[in-house]
Amino acid sequence: MIVNFWVTLGIKMALVLGVMLVGALVSIFGELKISAHMQSRIGPYFAGGRWGWAQPLADGLKFIQKEEIIPDTVDVRVFKLAPYVVLMGTMAIYVVIPFGPDMVAGNLDLGVFYVLAISSISTVGVLMAGWSSGNKYSLMGGLRAAAQLIAYELPLVLAVVGVVILAGTLSLNGIVEAQAQWQWFGVTPEWLNVIPPYLILQAVGFAIFLTASLAELSRTPFDMPIAESELVMGYLTEYSGLRFTMFFLGEYAGMVALAAIASTLFLGGYWLPFVSDDLLNFIGPVVLITKIALLVFLFIWMRWTFPRLREDQLQQLAWRILIPVALANIVVTAVLKVVF
Amino acid sequence: MTDSPSDTPDSTEDVVDEAVPEQEASAAVAEPAVAEESPAVDTEEAPEDAPAPSEFDVLAARVADVVGSDQWTAEHRTVKISVSPDRWKEAIAGVKALGEFPFFSWLSAVDWAREVAVGDGVAAPDDLDERLEVMCRLSSMKDDTAVTIVTSVPRSGGSLESVATVYGGADWHERECYEMFGIDFVGHPNLIKLYLPDAFEGHPLRKDYPLLSREVKPWPGTVDVEAKPTTENVEADTLASDGGDS
Amino acid sequence: MTTINPITDVATAMHLSEASVSVELETPDMTLNIGPQHPSTHGVLRLVAQVDGERILSVEPVIGYMHRGYEKLAEVRTYAQITALVNRIDWVSGFANEIPFIVAAERLMGVEVPERAQYIRLILTELARISSHLIFTSSYPLEIGAATPLMHALRERERVLELLEGVTGGRFHPNFNRIGGVKPAAGSGSQTRKDVQDLPAGFLAETREAMQRVLDVCDDLDTLVTGNEIFRARTVGVGVIPLDKGIDYGVSGPNLRASGTNFDLRKHTDYLPYDRFEFEIPAGTNGDCFDRYLMRLEEIREACKIIIQAVDSIPSGPLQAKVPKIIKVPAGEVYVRAENPKGEMGYHLISEGGRMPYRLKIRTASFSNLSVLPWLLEDTLVPDIIAILGSLDFVLGDVDR
Repeated sequence: MIVNFWVTLGIKMALVLGVMLVGALVSIFGELKISAHMQSRIGPYFAGGRWGWAQPLADGLKFIQKEEIIPDTVDVRVFKLAPYVVLMGTMAIYVVIPFGPDMVAGNLDLGVFYVLAISSISTVGVLMAGWSSGNKYSLMGGLRAAAQLIAYELPLVLAVVGVVILAGTLSLNGIVEAQAQWQWFGVTPEWLNVIPPYLILQAVGFAIFLTASLAELSRTPFDMPIAESELVMGYLTEYSGLRFTMFFLGEYAGMVALAAIASTLFLGGYWLPFVSDDLLNFIGPVVLITKIALLVFLFIWMRWTFPRLREDQLQQLAWRILIPVALANIVVTAVLKVVF
Repeated sequence: MTDSPSDTPDSTEDVVDEAVPEQEASAAVAEPAVAEESPAVDTEEAPEDAPAPSEFDVLAARVADVVGSDQWTAEHRTVKISVSPDRWKEAIAGVKALGEFPFFSWLSAVDWAREVAVGDGVAAPDDLDERLEVMCRLSSMKDDTAVTIVTSVPRSGGSLESVATVYGGADWHERECYEMFGIDFVGHPNLIKLYLPDAFEGHPLRKDYPLLSREVKPWPGTVDVEAKPTTENVEADTLASDGGDS
Repeated sequence: MTTINPITDVATAMHLSEASVSVELETPDMTLNIGPQHPSTHGVLRLVAQVDGERILSVEPVIGYMHRGYEKLAEVRTYAQITALVNRIDWVSGFANEIPFIVAAERLMGVEVPERAQYIRLILTELARISSHLIFTSSYPLEIGAATPLMHALRERERVLELLEGVTGGRFHPNFNRIGGVKPAAGSGSQTRKDVQDLPAGFLAETREAMQRVLDVCDDLDTLVTGNEIFRARTVGVGVIPLDKGIDYGVSGPNLRASGTNFDLRKHTDYLPYDRFEFEIPAGTNGDCFDRYLMRLEEIREACKIIIQAVDSIPSGPLQAKVPKIIKVPAGEVYVRAENPKGEMGYHLISEGGRMPYRLKIRTASFSNLSVLPWLLEDTLVPDIIAILGSLDFVLGDVDR
C-alpha cells in the first residue's frame, strides 16, 4: 500500500512536470508563430524540419549551454533561488487542474482557494529577483511587480467569488460538475450546457478574471515589470543562461495554468455532454486543452496588439474600475442566487 | 550694402567708444566679401534687391535700428548686423522683442585666423584681423528672412554675456561654442563641455587645432584633386565630376 | 549599481533610531542612469535622471557619444566629399541632408539647377521623408509597447528604400547630389554627357504604386495605433510643448507644428520647387506626444501627394548644370535651411574662395529639439520619459553631428 502511494505520487509528479513543460513549450512556439503571422513574418522555419517546430527546444538547449553571469553586486543566494520560486509557484497550480473527472493530480476541497494563494508565490519570486539583482532597473521592475500583485490579486479573487457562489463549492472538480448540472429555470436539457452557463452568468467576472490574470502574468498591456523599452528587461535584466530559462518557462507555464483555471471556472472545464465519466477521462483533456488553446491565443493576440499602460494607469484601472465592478458583481450574483 | 546710420546718440557712442577696433575689423572683412559676392547676388536676388529699397530692406533697416548698430549688410534674405560684444545680449533680446524674427535657429562662431593647421585659409591673410566671430541666427516664421547678429571677441580669453536666459535653446549652443572655440559665456547656468569628454584639451574647431589623422596620412581625396590640371574653368561642354572617379 | 545604501551617516542612523517615535524614513532620491546603452534611447543618448520612485525630479541629457566632428572634417574636404559626409548626419533620411548643403554651395556659385534635377531632388527628398516618418510612426508604438505596427510599416518602408536604392545606389547614404544637379552615370566619365544616368526604367510607375501602398499602410496604422485607447492614454496630454516654449528652444519640424503652427520651410523658402505642388501642412493643437505622432502620420500622406504630383509632372531635360571641373566656391557667406523630416536643417557656409569651405556650421534639427528635454521631462513619470523621448523623433547622429 505504502509503495503504491509513492508510485502514484511519482507518476503524478512526472505528469504535472511533463504537462507543464509541454504546455510551456507549445505556447512558446505558438507565440513565435502567431506573432510572426500577425506581423507578416514567417517566424521559426528551420529547426526540426517542418514549421520550425523544434525552435523552443533548440532555444532551451542554447540557454542551457550559455554561461551564467552573476554580477558582483547581487545577493547571490536570493538571486539564485528566485527563478525556482517563480517556477514552483506556477507548477503548483498544475496540481489541481482537473483534466477529467479523475484526471487530476490532487482534487482539493479548497482548490480555488489553493490556486489563488499559490499563484501569488511567483510574484514573491519576481520581487526576490528584482531586489537581489543589485540593479536599479531590476529593483524598479520588482517593485512594479509587487505593486501589480497587490492591485490585481483582489479583482482576481473577487471575480472568482461569483463562480464560487453559484457553484457552492471551492473544489475545481465540483465547479465543473456544477456547471454540467446547471439548470436554467429548473429544467434544462443537458446539451444546452455546452454553452458554459457561467460564461453567460459571470461574463463580467470572466472579463475581470482575464484582465487580472494578464496583469498577474505581466503580459502586455500590463508588462510594466519587464517593460523592455523603459526598464531594459526589468527584474530579468541580470539573469542569463539556465536561470533566465526558468523565468521564461515560468511565464509561459503560468499563462497556460491561468488559462486552464479560467477554462475550468468559467468555460465548463473538461466537461462534454452525453459522455460517460469513464470516457470523459480520455476526452476531457482534449476538451480542456482546446479551451486553454483558445484563451492562450487570446493572450497572445492581446500582447501583439496592445501597447503598454503606464504604472499609475494600471493602478487606477484596478482600484477604480475592476474592484468596484467585481464587488458589484458579487452582490448581484448573491442576490440572484437567493432570489432564484 | 545699405548703410543706415543709427540716430540714437548712446548707441553711436557705444560703437565709437568701445568697439573701434572691432568696427574696423568687420568693415575690412565684410566689405570685400560683399564685393565678391555681388555676381551671385545679381543672378539670384536681383528682383528683390535691385531698384528701390524693397520691403525686406526696410525691415532690415528697422532691425538694425532696434539693435542700434550701423554695421549691417543684407544679402541672401538675411540681415547681418555687427554689434560690439558688450551689446550682444541686448541686441538679441531687442530682436526677440521686435517679434519679426522669433525663431532661435542657432548660435555659433567662426575662427578667423591667419595660420591654419588644416584646410584652406582665408583669401587675404595679411589684411585679416584675427578674432572669433560669434553669430546668432534668428529667423522669421512667416518667410525665409532672418537676422544674424554678429560680434567679435579676441581669440584668447574672449568672453560674452550668455543669452541662455533670452533663448532657452541657446543653452546647448553656447556650451558647444564654449568647448569648440573656448569662448566664455558669462552668466550661463551650466557651462560645461557638451560633446567632448571632460578631460579633453584644446578647442577643436579653432583653425590652429590640427587633425591628427591628417598629420599621419594626407587625405587621398586631396591628393587626387591636386593631381588634376590646374585649370579652373574647363571648357563649357565638360560636365562636372567629383574628380574622384576617373 | 546597488541602490540600497548602508546607513553610514551617524546622523541618519540617529534619525532612524528615532523613527519609532515619529515614523519618518528618509527616502533619498535615486539617480537612474538611462543609457548610453538602453533600448529606447535611439543610439547612444544618456540621460541622468534623479528619480523619487517612479517620479522624475530632473533629467540631464548627456550627449556626444557619437560626436564625429563633421564641422571640422568639412573644413578639410572638397565640396564633393562633403556631400558624402553630410548624408551621414541623420542617417534615417540621408538624402534630405544633402539638399541644403548643395543648395548653399550653389547659391554662392550662382549655379542654376536644371528643372529635371530639381524634380528628382524633390522626389527623393520626399521619399526620404516618408522613410524617416515611417520609422517613427512604427517604432513609436513599439516604445509604448505595441510591437506589431513596426513590422507593417517597415515592410512598406523597404519599398521606399528600394526606390531610393534604384535611383541612387544607396539605401541610406545616397551621395547622389552634385553641385549643379544630380549624379552623372557611374563609370561613364565626365566627357560622355549623353550617357548621363537618368532615372531607372519604370521608376515613375513603381513610385506611384509604392505611394499607394504607403497610403494603405498609413490607414493600417490609423486603425492599429491612432485609435487605440491605451496608446491615447499614454500619449494624449503627455509631454506638452507650448508653442512659445518650442520657438524659444528652436524646436522645429513636426515637433513644433504639433504645438499649433503651420511653419514649414517647404512653403516658406525656395530651396526646392515646392510651390508648384498642392499640399497641406498639418498642424496640431495640443503639442503633446499624440499630436507629434499624428503630425508625422499626416506628413507621410502629404509627402505621397507631393511625390505623385511630381512624378506626373516631371519635365525632361538635362540633369546637370554646367559647372567647372574643379569646384571652387566664391568667397561669401550663406545660410540655407531646409525642412528635413526632423525639422529645420541648415548649413551656414562660409567660403574664402578655396576648394574647401572655410567654415561649415551645421544646424541640425534633432539637436535643438532635444535641448528642450530637461525642461520637458521635469516632474513626469519614468514611463513618460520613453513616451516623450520617442515622440521627439531624434537621431543621435543628428544630435551629435
